[in-house]
Amino acid sequence: MAIDPASLDAPFAALAAFDWGGDATTLAPIDAAVVAAHADAGLRADLEKRLAAVLGSQASRAAKQYACRKLSLIGSAGSVPALAALLGDKELSHMARFALERYAAPEATEALRKALGGVEGDLTIGMLSSLAAKRDAASIPAIATLVTGDSAVAAAAAEALGLLASPEAAVVLAGVTTSGAAAEAVVDARLACAEAMVKAGRKADARAIYEALSKAVGDAPTTHRGRAVRMACQRGLFAAMEG
Amino acid sequence: MVVSCPAPARSLLVAVACLAAVAPRAEAEPASREAFAFAVELVKGADPDMRAVALERLRDGLPGGAYTKELAEKVLPTVPADVQVRLISTLAGRRDAAALPGLVSMAASGDEAVTAAAFRAIAALGGGGQVPLLVARLGNGPVSDAARAALVAIQGTDVSPQLAAAVGDATLPAAARGMIFEILAERRDRAAIPLFVAVAKADDPELRAAAMRALAKLGGPAEIPGMVVGYLTAPAGKERDDAERAILAVCAAGPEAKAAAAAVLAAYRAADPGTQETLLPLVARVGDPAALAIIDALVAAPDPAQRKLGLTALSRWPDAAVKDRLLGLLAQTGDDGERRLLVGTLIRIAPIPNNGLSDAQRLALLADTMKLCTTDDDRRRILERAGAIRTVETLRFIVPSLDAPPLAENAARGVVELAHQQKLRDANKPEFTAALEKVLAVAKDPVTRERAERYLQGKTWERR
Repeated sequence: MAIDPASLDAPFAALAAFDWGGDATTLAPIDAAVVAAHADAGLRADLEKRLAAVLGSQASRAAKQYACRKLSLIGSAGSVPALAALLGDKELSHMARFALERYAAPEATEALRKALGGVEGDLTIGMLSSLAAKRDAASIPAIATLVTGDSAVAAAAAEALGLLASPEAAVVLAGVTTSGAAAEAVVDARLACAEAMVKAGRKADARAIYEALSKAVGDAPTTHRGRAVRMACQRGLFAAMEG
Repeated sequence: MVVSCPAPARSLLVAVACLAAVAPRAEAEPASREAFAFAVELVKGADPDMRAVALERLRDGLPGGAYTKELAEKVLPTVPADVQVRLISTLAGRRDAAALPGLVSMAASGDEAVTAAAFRAIAALGGGGQVPLLVARLGNGPVSDAARAALVAIQGTDVSPQLAAAVGDATLPAAARGMIFEILAERRDRAAIPLFVAVAKADDPELRAAAMRALAKLGGPAEIPGMVVGYLTAPAGKERDDAERAILAVCAAGPEAKAAAAAVLAAYRAADPGTQETLLPLVARVGDPAALAIIDALVAAPDPAQRKLGLTALSRWPDAAVKDRLLGLLAQTGDDGERRLLVGTLIRIAPIPNNGLSDAQRLALLADTMKLCTTDDDRRRILERAGAIRTVETLRFIVPSLDAPPLAENAARGVVELAHQQKLRDANKPEFTAALEKVLAVAKDPVTRERAERYLQGKTWERR
């Protein structure tokens, strides 16, 4: 059923004034319009424009989160700038990433990559998480610079490289210097890379990683984790040897 | 969005994911000799973690009969017994019958755990060809248990015929042959039913009993005539009681229960008078309403012996359907023996759960029986049995007897039995509190007193 954009004026006015605890049923026409927009390019463009405008307005956090959720369903490159502007906002960064992770447009990935260098702490971990989720190999050099020391960011960067699991990521991981939890994350990421290599048929490369990790933990690891890593390596070696 | 989580949990997740994912099954691809040699090296090594990884790989990967044979015949005999047990389990998991010759050799191991493991693996991989080996080890102990379990589990159309043939093997101990009946029954092998029926009347009591137990599990109305013969063959005592239980099991279970009960009655009707006398207790215990006419005729017979048979049968009736007959007979009889039998039967059937009566009717029947009692022994039995009718009205029925010294101890037991029901006790707290306090005042039995004290404190279970 076609939806007249004019019929959404009142719901969008309600959204502009919406906050937690308010009557969410006033937003139901927007929900219905988002569903209908999948078969109506004109409506989709209109909705995207209106929702992006909410992000740049003085609307409440609740209203902006709502807009992010809806944009995650219908958004395109056109609304990337509005979402990118929120990536540095501690209160809205995660919802902006929530939307951008689902965007197929390369501009969304580019925005996340750019934000990686401009945020700190937990927000950096968020960008790493989103870039890994989008399997963005182009961000590997930037991620590589973060895998150092014993910080939560370093561990998250290692984990992101493990999720990317490319030969390039494996090379980066082989050369990093970390300690503590970050070092453990690097080992896990290297195992993930090796596993991906086995699946891709690069068994010699995978075997080299398994052998290196196995050698690093030694023949008689005394910790549960050490034993688990050694067992994972042996299982990986079997997979790399067979076939 | 990928949600970030604390580093240790994340590390473990990645490690576990790696553990789970790097070992795909490679059925179609020829397995590597290097990987096999590596796995064997780890199996023979001293590190249990690495051995576990290798055994898992040998179980799920590295397929091929040549590897299986090498493991079973060359590697298996060379490792310690505890590793043998694990490797045998791995071989079973490979589902490759090429392991069988090696496993059969290991079954002769002097180590019971190894033999038992070999039997378990043979059950998974073998067939009729391994039946003689397993049958030969039936007896006592863990090896016998493993052989028995293997014979229940082993697959193959030629397994049951071989087991049936083994029953006739006189060189086997009777206990082992009896065990084979149980195995055939557990295999749910209906083809063996004629054999069970035939052996139910055999000379050997152990085999007879085993056959009846098997028929209890697999039999139906068609087997009742044969089971009745088994019942009649069994001498009075435990074996006949067990045979009765086997027939009752067939008459109580499944959609054919009524037909089975009718078959018991038909067998009775077809029997000669002497045999009928032996069968009558069974017929009564089955409780087919059609049998009541037979029992009524016997009870009404002028011959005292016939009447006694009828009353004895009536006393075995399984539920309260005969209560009016019992009360009527009790009102008429002047014979002390008959009174005791009839009262005893009423005391037995009145509180039985699901006996066809409501709680109120069950209690009323017990109260009526109490009025007909002429001895304190019977009254005491009633007071103790009353606890099975879990209502506050039962409490009110029992409590007055706390004041009668000859009955007080039994009434006290009846009260605490009811008080054990926490919901009933809590819902009628003032009445139960008064009754339990009275129990403490009159009861001498330490167990009864301890329970009464506990329930008064609101504790149903004793906590140590």
